[in-house]
Amino acid sequence: MEREMRFHLERETEENMRRGMPPTSARRAALLSFGGVERFKEECRDVQRPRRLETFWQDVQYGVRMLRKYPSFTLLAVLTLALGIGVNTSIFSVVYGVLLRPLPYRNGHELVVLRQQAPLAGADNLGFSVKEIEDYRAQNQALEGIVEHHSMTFTLLGGQEPELIQTGVVSANFFDVMGVKPLLGRTFLPEDEAHGAEAVLVLSYKYWQRSQHGDRDIVGKRFRMNDRPHTVIGVLPPVPQYPNENDVYMPTAACPTRSSERFMANRNARMMSVFGRRKPGVPLAQAQTDVATNANRMQQQYPDVYPANRGFRAVATDLQDELTQQARQTFLLLLGTAGLVLLIACANVANLALARVLRREREMAVRAALGASRGRLIRLLLTESTLLALLGGALGIVLAIFSTGLLVKFAERFTPRAHEIGVIDGTVLGFALAISLLTGLVFGLAPALSIGQNLVPALKDGSGQSTASPARQRLRNSLVVAQVAVSFALLIVAGLMTRSLLKLQQVKPGFDVERVLVMRISPNWSKYQSNEDYRTFSQRLLDKLKTQPGVLIAALSNNYPLNPLGITRGPNRNELQIEGRPLAPGELPPQADFRVVTPDYFDTLRLPLVSGRLFNDLDYDPKKPVALINQALARHRFGNDDPVGHRLSLDRGESWATIVGVVADVKSYGLQSAAVDEVYRPVAQTFGAGFLLARTKVEPAGLIRQLRGAVYDFDPETAIDHVRTLEDARSEALASPRLTATLLSLFAALALLITAAGIAGVMALAVAQRTHEIGIRLALGASKSAVLWLVLEQGMRLVLVGLAVGSSGALVLTRVLSAWMNTLLFAVEPADPLTYLLVALVLAAAAAAACYLPARRVTGINPMIALRSE
Amino acid sequence: MAKTKSDLLQGTLDMLILKTLAVGEMHGWGIAQRIQQTSQGVLNINQGSLYPALYRLEEQGWVASSWDVSDNNRQAKYYKLTRAGRKQLTEETANWERMSAAVELVLQSN
Repeated sequence: MEREMRFHLERETEENMRRGMPPTSARRAALLSFGGVERFKEECRDVQRPRRLETFWQDVQYGVRMLRKYPSFTLLAVLTLALGIGVNTSIFSVVYGVLLRPLPYRNGHELVVLRQQAPLAGADNLGFSVKEIEDYRAQNQALEGIVEHHSMTFTLLGGQEPELIQTGVVSANFFDVMGVKPLLGRTFLPEDEAHGAEAVLVLSYKYWQRSQHGDRDIVGKRFRMNDRPHTVIGVLPPVPQYPNENDVYMPTAACPTRSSERFMANRNARMMSVFGRRKPGVPLAQAQTDVATNANRMQQQYPDVYPANRGFRAVATDLQDELTQQARQTFLLLLGTAGLVLLIACANVANLALARVLRREREMAVRAALGASRGRLIRLLLTESTLLALLGGALGIVLAIFSTGLLVKFAERFTPRAHEIGVIDGTVLGFALAISLLTGLVFGLAPALSIGQNLVPALKDGSGQSTASPARQRLRNSLVVAQVAVSFALLIVAGLMTRSLLKLQQVKPGFDVERVLVMRISPNWSKYQSNEDYRTFSQRLLDKLKTQPGVLIAALSNNYPLNPLGITRGPNRNELQIEGRPLAPGELPPQADFRVVTPDYFDTLRLPLVSGRLFNDLDYDPKKPVALINQALARHRFGNDDPVGHRLSLDRGESWATIVGVVADVKSYGLQSAAVDEVYRPVAQTFGAGFLLARTKVEPAGLIRQLRGAVYDFDPETAIDHVRTLEDARSEALASPRLTATLLSLFAALALLITAAGIAGVMALAVAQRTHEIGIRLALGASKSAVLWLVLEQGMRLVLVGLAVGSSGALVLTRVLSAWMNTLLFAVEPADPLTYLLVALVLAAAAAAACYLPARRVTGINPMIALRSE
Repeated sequence: MAKTKSDLLQGTLDMLILKTLAVGEMHGWGIAQRIQQTSQGVLNINQGSLYPALYRLEEQGWVASSWDVSDNNRQAKYYKLTRAGRKQLTEETANWERMSAAVELVLQSN
């Protein structure tokens, strides 16, 4: 505009000069005929529609200037917000990846998991037998593909070392129903499933990369497994694998167990998991009814297979819910607490901003006097706060990027979907942006709206700093009270979790976890066909290992306590019969977890014998079967009687084993659960025990290489995997409660820190505002400690109100959520008085410190200077 | 007071500008010169008032502007008629003719 008018005037001046005017009058004439440059400029500006974008840009520029003018405020606010937003973004990336994102399968929402249950016998996942699957396939109307899956380990020979391969055994149309297309080659066809078909394999992407180095010519290659050649026909794309990770897949016909005539004919041989796809448009409820009807029909048709006293039913669950069920509670709790941390951060920044508005009241008044409307002022402040929030958000995203890797490890413990938690993607970024903007609005609104309608008094007041209006003071106070209350609730949750973790750590597992090495060993089973063969193998292997330097004693067992796999699957529930105890009609047969061990198992674990004797090397005669039971089973089934000498059967009365002793209870399936009833049988009288346990003189981790070598020396076709110490297993059993407690404590600590900073800020302002008053009090003879107390009292009163609100709020909250809290807590009541007391003390101490530091300044006030300062 | 005068002129001035631009692209000074010339000096408006009018027309979307080099090798802002502007001009011209005919009728009747 400026340039345009200048051009006009110059042009006119030239024109006038051309007509013969002298330069000065030419210019004058030009100006005259133009008629008031400034006036027209003004008019031009009026003509232009108020440009929103332009004023917005002005606000932004002004905002940036203000933020730079108060760097300490900006830094504090941005950091606080970055912590709040960062925590929320990373937790959200987990929640989104695990709970919200659709399954990475074609129409993943249509996939369902079927499950057969016997609720009266306490079994919520029986598995499926071949006969049952056939029935569902024949009768079901709501599902369009019913497929089965089970997973086994097979030994792959031919490589440098024998390799244990986790193998998924699936129906031929498994991948079609899941909607997975192969990366190379093909997946299974119906003819692969035919009896006697050539054995074929599909490799998982991970295994193909890891063990076959991504060889693109892999299709057609042959592997030797189960003493048979298996041909690779395809490779899967990198999709997450459900229900568990497998290295390779084979069709049902290739699995020796699954394809045996006897297994297929036995309706009770339940080993498989079953999935289905809902027909398009069929709701889950209909699929559930349909499955339940199928189960009812089976129950009526085969009453002997499904005894009424166990209850029998089948249910269908959405695959997506099934996969994340365990994660949901913990993640939602974390998201909730993270949200509270953000709220506290917002309250803090709002309080800081309020204090700043107070100092800028004059500036606002001047702006208003010059014609800025209230709306315009509010918009200015909101722009500033949004700017702050966006800065905080950007920094928060950086924080989130760094912490997501950690959270993936955490999430793995709860859900197989953890690997889908990407680095920050579009949706998560969108979330971060949205919460940043929302945050800006939330904490910007309070100070902005506190700008009074009438700013005239601020102008009249010469001090440049108006005294706080009562309304604004109330707002600031209630923000502090809210912060203290919310922090209190957060600290309670973290405190309860920590107490629960401590209790868990104190749980005695019933055996000595120190210095025991565990490895899974899988011999080439085709070489050890009979019990006798295997007994010699195990005996000689153990003899060899016991002579290894550093090894005290060694044993074999089919499982070991606190085995993570065991914890996930839960105890086996084998039915047993006790001799001379016929069941009353309708009574459920006793159940027990079933362990197969070599005699030295108990010494290796230092698991004490309570009565009777342990197994010895002579307990191999199949005609004299023996068993040990644990105290829990003795207590439950024999009461005060001595169980030693009684006999029990694990095969519905076909054979009877004599109980020779009672051993102590062990927390086999997790430290939080009570010991389950257990029966031990000797390896020599049964078959197969895959875990080698060795108690060592030194740190067991140092002996791994040596022991592996010893096993390979003994039998080069024995595969080894799953190597760890019992201490690892114990710490893994504690890992998820520990991580949850750590994260929650971290959040609570953040909240405490932010709140303390908030209280300190409020106190600092209060001291500044009361300097004059305190000067008078000092001048009139008040003692320094008296004025200090005066100021402290002001802050502590807020803190106490916050504590009162927070504790009653937390009590109500834990009461409301008590069912939910109880599942997360171990041996701690949601209203645990000790936790409440400790939290109150910690919070009060932190608050007192936050009050005291700024309040201390009043003692340094010189009454003369304070009085003059007005 | 100045405001009322320019308000009075506003409609006409806008039309004159549109008419002038109908010939071709022109900068502000050029427009002023041309209006003066073609009206044979009768319409001696304040040249400055041209600019608010031009801005207004631009807001309405009837003219578009761009910077270019002028005949004497200096940067000048050139205005040209948009399609909407051309339509507006026809409309306003028609209006004006109707109006002036009406005014004439009134003046001639005794």
